[in-house]
Amino acid sequence: MNKNYIILTILMLVLAVGTLFLRMSNEPKQIDPEELLQEIIQPTRYVTTDQVAKMIIQGDPSLMLIDVRSTDEYIEYTLPGAVNIPLEDLLVEDNLLYLGIPGKKVVFVSNDDIKADQAWVLTKRLGYGSTYVLKGGINCWMQTIIDPQQPEETAAATDFETYSFRKGAQMYFTGAGSDDGGSNQVNVQVQRRQKSNVAAGGC
Amino acid sequence: MGPLIPNGVIGAGWDFVIAILIGIAFGFILEASGFSSSRNLAGVFYGYNFVVLRVFFTALIVAMVGLMYFDFVGWLDLSKIFILPTYLAPMVVGGIIMGFGFVIGGFCPGTSFTGIAIGKLDALFFTIGLYLGIFGFSLAFPLFEGFYNSGSMGNITLTDVTGIPAPYFALAFTVIALAAFWGTMFIEKKVRKNMKQYKF
Repeated sequence: MNKNYIILTILMLVLAVGTLFLRMSNEPKQIDPEELLQEIIQPTRYVTTDQVAKMIIQGDPSLMLIDVRSTDEYIEYTLPGAVNIPLEDLLVEDNLLYLGIPGKKVVFVSNDDIKADQAWVLTKRLGYGSTYVLKGGINCWMQTIIDPQQPEETAAATDFETYSFRKGAQMYFTGAGSDDGGSNQVNVQVQRRQKSNVAAGGC
Repeated sequence: MGPLIPNGVIGAGWDFVIAILIGIAFGFILEASGFSSSRNLAGVFYGYNFVVLRVFFTALIVAMVGLMYFDFVGWLDLSKIFILPTYLAPMVVGGIIMGFGFVIGGFCPGTSFTGIAIGKLDALFFTIGLYLGIFGFSLAFPLFEGFYNSGSMGNITLTDVTGIPAPYFALAFTVIALAAFWGTMFIEKKVRKNMKQYKF
């Protein structure tokens, strides 16, 4: 009886038994906690309602709005072109396909910015880049774009510039009196990531 | 890290280069294992030579257990591996035909080429037959097309079907393989006692 065969047999058995103790993790890959913390304390994830309004008006194709509120709230009012993914459904595999498309900026929208921030943290932990949060959410949108307040006469010139832009945006989004039938009737066109980078082919 | 091409570690154009390198290594190992001799290959059916079983089972369990460790340490993402789609009935029939071809011809497709490489005439004729078979199958394909595509089960694994985690299958196959190594060694001894020594 060859000694090598015995040793190899035992080695193979030990290795095979060892696989039983491997943790076959299905956990998604996450970024480092330090990195996440660094990102969280940066305010760079916020975009203002003015920036979003400008992008919508200019028809910026890189903008992708995701409304993380409930479906009821979404039907009631949302930003033009926004896709509804309630926060609790965000990690459904199909919904994750909206994220991580090269050249797309995903902006999370909620009533304020708390839910949107949560969505941002979740996607950030999963390692998706180019995700942003609408600062102040729909409430801020209403105050600044839909119903802008005229600044005081002593305010800075830039405030007046902002105001005039917002007045224009208000006209764009509300139709300035004429009824456009509600802005969430806009035909939502979205682009999804190709589903898999799984290897194709055979033997 | 891996699989290398889907993860973009290397460009997609490298797949043919890698295929050539692996092909050379595969052919080398086949020939080195004595697989270019149809007597060796057919021996598994008569019980005097189980080298085929040993080589392929060794490759199988080493690769299987190795891939699990690779997945564990993060060198390879097993969820991104291509899994051949399963067509149950056509695969069973195909396996039977392949087995008959193997025992009658003394080669399987890969080994017939290693046989040609060292100048075996039987391997040459086997390969000519192989191409005639491919040609005939292609011409007659409309006749089998329905059966050929029947019973598709998709890209499934045993774990998907049974719900039993992969390591248990790995362990079971390893035990079966190791038992087969030792068991066939005794069968070989017994059978060879009653036969004249054969040349490869």
